[in-house]
Amino acid sequence: MSLSNNNEKMSIGRFISETVASPTRIPFVVVIAVILIFQLMNPTFLSYQGLVTLVYSMSYFLIAACGLTFVVMMGSFDFSSISVMKFSALLCVLYIDDFGLWIIPITLLCCAIIGFVSGFLVAKLGVPSFMATLGISIVVDGISLLMSKGFLHLMEHEGFRSISTTFIAGIPSVFHWSIAIWVLCAVLAATTPFGRRTYAIGGNARAAVLSGINLDSQRIQVFMLSGLLAGAAGVFYMSQLGGGSVEIGGQMMIPLFASVVAGGTSLRGGTGGPQNTLLGVIIITWIQSGLRMMGTGMETQMVILGLIAIGMSIATTDRNKFRRVIVK
Amino acid sequence: MTERTLTPILDVRNVCKSFGKVYALEDVSLKIFPSEIVGVVGENGAGKTTLMKSLVGIHVPEKGEWYDKGVKAAFPKDPKDAAKKGISIVYQERGVVPSLQVYQFLFLGNEEKYVGAFGLQIPRMKKAAQEIIDEFHIKCDIEDFMFELPLSTQKMVEIARAVVNIRLEQNKQDADSVIILDEPTAPLNIEERHELLNEIVRLKANCSFVFVTHIMQEVMEYMDRVIVLRDGRQVGEYDMATNKVTENELVRMILGKDIDGQEKIQRIPSRVDNSETVLSSKELSKRGSYYNISFDLSKGECLGVLGSAGSGKSELIETIAGINGYDEGDLLIRGKSTKNHELPYARLKKGVGYFSGEIANELFYDWPITKNISILNIEKIVTKIFHFLNFKTEKTLAADISKQLRIKTPNVNITVSSLSGGNKQKVTVGKWLEKKPDILLLEDPTIGIDVGAREDIYETILNMKEQGISMILVSDDPKEYSALCDRVLMMQQGKAQKIISKEELKEVLQT
Amino acid sequence: MSMVNRKKSLTILSVVKNYPVIIIFFGLIILFSILYHQRFLSPANLTATLRQFITLMLFSVGPTFVMLLGSMDQSFIGIWMLGSAFLWLLTPIIGPVALLVFPLFGLVSGLCIGAIHVKLRIPSFILTLSVLIIYWGLTAIISKGNPRNVPGYSFLTDDIIPFVPTPLLYSIPIILLSVFIVKRTKLGTYFYAIGSNEEGARLAGINVEKYKIVAFALSGLFSGIGSIVLFQHLGGTVPVSFSMNNVVRPLIAIILGGTPLSGGRGGPQRTILGALTFSVIYRGLYLSTLGAEVIDLIVGLILIISIVISSKGGELRGVEVA
Repeated sequence: MSLSNNNEKMSIGRFISETVASPTRIPFVVVIAVILIFQLMNPTFLSYQGLVTLVYSMSYFLIAACGLTFVVMMGSFDFSSISVMKFSALLCVLYIDDFGLWIIPITLLCCAIIGFVSGFLVAKLGVPSFMATLGISIVVDGISLLMSKGFLHLMEHEGFRSISTTFIAGIPSVFHWSIAIWVLCAVLAATTPFGRRTYAIGGNARAAVLSGINLDSQRIQVFMLSGLLAGAAGVFYMSQLGGGSVEIGGQMMIPLFASVVAGGTSLRGGTGGPQNTLLGVIIITWIQSGLRMMGTGMETQMVILGLIAIGMSIATTDRNKFRRVIVK
Repeated sequence: MTERTLTPILDVRNVCKSFGKVYALEDVSLKIFPSEIVGVVGENGAGKTTLMKSLVGIHVPEKGEWYDKGVKAAFPKDPKDAAKKGISIVYQERGVVPSLQVYQFLFLGNEEKYVGAFGLQIPRMKKAAQEIIDEFHIKCDIEDFMFELPLSTQKMVEIARAVVNIRLEQNKQDADSVIILDEPTAPLNIEERHELLNEIVRLKANCSFVFVTHIMQEVMEYMDRVIVLRDGRQVGEYDMATNKVTENELVRMILGKDIDGQEKIQRIPSRVDNSETVLSSKELSKRGSYYNISFDLSKGECLGVLGSAGSGKSELIETIAGINGYDEGDLLIRGKSTKNHELPYARLKKGVGYFSGEIANELFYDWPITKNISILNIEKIVTKIFHFLNFKTEKTLAADISKQLRIKTPNVNITVSSLSGGNKQKVTVGKWLEKKPDILLLEDPTIGIDVGAREDIYETILNMKEQGISMILVSDDPKEYSALCDRVLMMQQGKAQKIISKEELKEVLQT
Repeated sequence: MSMVNRKKSLTILSVVKNYPVIIIFFGLIILFSILYHQRFLSPANLTATLRQFITLMLFSVGPTFVMLLGSMDQSFIGIWMLGSAFLWLLTPIIGPVALLVFPLFGLVSGLCIGAIHVKLRIPSFILTLSVLIIYWGLTAIISKGNPRNVPGYSFLTDDIIPFVPTPLLYSIPIILLSVFIVKRTKLGTYFYAIGSNEEGARLAGINVEKYKIVAFALSGLFSGIGSIVLFQHLGGTVPVSFSMNNVVRPLIAIILGGTPLSGGRGGPQRTILGALTFSVIYRGLYLSTLGAEVIDLIVGLILIISIVISSKGGELRGVEVA
């Protein structure tokens, strides 16, 4: 009797260690914990209104996070996502009168070109991706500031606004758009040669080269995709909020990065993917909106998100597997 | 040879070391006398590295005696302790710190001896370094950076550093020292190799060397004695001056069997189509590696490139694969000349695949067998419209391959990291089997796997050959050539000697 | 034997070869002197250039240690910000002794970052970026978002010698100490060795993990010491606004000076040159009619160009990954 009891205890212990503590499960556990905590603190948290707010604040964010996920999957980093997003939003608001809705493809093209430049610096000139994209982000920020002249611009084009703000089935359409883009990204990562190649480079770059992957071209393509998606995020940001805030700065990289790693895409590359990033984005936006509801300021949110970013990077790194890899 | 009657400066007897149940070393004894170079040879996995690591205190053997001037003593606990006993090691690669200056590198890790009231005493360090450089006749300035020096000079500085390490630990200038050199010539090209070996011979006046190598020519020309290890046992010891041993006898001793191959591989007929040349090399040269190599490869033929390590054979096959470039000459694939700096993906498009037995170059460890096989065959598993991956085809593909190759696995969704070495190797062969490139370059295709798996892989390769795939083989194992090749290009020191047929190869290997 | 004693001649040519940034430095000085001949060499502009140099130098001296390893430390701005907030809290309680909070906090912060980076194997750029944001948030929380004035420390910038900015006098021993550590202690040699070839350093018997943590600790400590001077030098208030530009400029100074991102070369002595050059560039741009945004943009371009030049590019064809 006592023996079986003992066994049961052991199996419970194993159940916890296998389901709760394993790195891939961490996002799920965190989601549930976050919902519980905020629901207890604020009963309106899970109300319709609360959910719509949440959907609003997470939509464009999800698109940008998907782009960053591809780069992280490949073992690189894109620091310029937020800057590109800001740039794209600004481009839309400034030139909508000149081009009408054609501004959207033009903007996306510009952002893809920015991504191409980053990719070129990384792939062809051998610059570490983090620093290359940091430089790009400063240049893009400079261009944005130059274009906006520091003023807040309001989007008055109704057609453009309606892209995001039409309600379909009680949910703002920006949500449908971002979910559609997310599905596309997930499909791209999981079921196409492009996705497979990206994972391959993150997993074992040398083997990828010897398996006939054109490393340089693939890396440039991934950075272009990241730029494109950051641009798309900017378009939806502008059409949803109607005003280009100059306030989003480099620190916004932290929630973006945190949601990618929280989803389970390790900084080491080769794991995770956009399909996981949805969970990460939900966690991070839920935490952010929960904190906002509690009346915490931007600064406190940054502190908490910074800690989460570090914690999630630690949790998603399989240290045994990479014991002999040099980390710089 | 009178000095041999002196007391040995290193004397270990009956060393045993096991990992798990496998003996890596069994009753190996080694004596080193002053002023000699002792070669240690053996296959990969014969126990050379384990022996060296036991001598410098990285491994501690389970059994064995260590005699210090005839008195029994303990084995060293760590590399520092080993240096106190007069033994230090120079690693094969990665030992050099490129951005340090010579004098800094010489005392790296021993800076405490040169600390004064105002930090490091640079002038004193430089003076001591200069004395050492003079003593060892190293052609460099103590203020040169390591990366500025030729590779052979870098190795010399590393050797000097090992001696300095011993002297500083023992705190005396004339310490008897034994320096272990772990394949010191492996990263060097032909010219540098001779330069370094001549320098080492001259250094015998200062210290003794244990010289681990794969290159038989080095053993024949430069060693005083040689010890042969096989499967953790010491199977032979020759005094090169008194004992006339030929290179082939040595190779036979290392492999422990006749080189022409006793194992029976199913006789799979060779169908060489001499009318169709798929690849030809015209006066191909890469400075420091190989010179003026010309050959034609016919459809369905396997050409071996035979030579000792360092003969340029690896560089040649890597050039064809697109990993390295060449300096002069021309490489034609199906009669069309190729661009020099084509990368592996471009060569693969032209039908040239590179298969290396080094599984770290081939496998994605976290991936299941399916993905590892399909990464190379992505075009076979995509749907007609939109080019999505078809997971069902992917799975059947992998299942087919693992059945054909008898990969031992419950299913094909198992990550390859959990497979055994032989099965991992079969997965890498499997992806090339499915790919069926026109030309397959094989570099050490069966390195580090057991005999059973090796036979299976040979069989697969020969089957592929029968289907008309041309091959070029480079290997460290002469037996592999007689098993797989139709013709063999003999290379020595970067130059092509002659091309011989399979029958002639047997004679060459036997004499 | 005859050739062994050849001395390396210290010709102008060899200096230029080793320090290409010197050409840029003098070239820019000449260029700007011609372009704005009255204003560039005026005492006011020279003092401003010197002020800029002091700021850059004191910020970049700490991270240089970490850059030598090939890693990245961006927390220095955070140490300055949060340290100032601590100073504001502590000054009313313990008086001017509170200045010690800078080096202490820097040291502790550096030790923690180093330990997390080394033991938990998190890439340093993302770790220190997160830490930087956390420090910035904490600063804003402590000071409630207002740039609090901390009086009583103006003695730090009071003139001692006429025409020489006092912060420069304080920064000289700090710079000398950092150069001493790199050039005259085994720590320096170990940092170069680890940055150049980590595996080789480990084979030479160096405890790589330990010295990596030491480098991060030194980085924090020097950022802390520098912040004592910088605190008053940059206005004597608790800084609350945060811009990535502040982080990037010292990094540019380090890279321009000749410490590449891959580590193993360079050092604080070269960062002096980089900081000088960048100050001249910046003042030159400032004197021009260009707007602040354009200057930011050019700074970004300078960052990209200097990294491209300093990184060697892929050595193994097509196999290297950044």
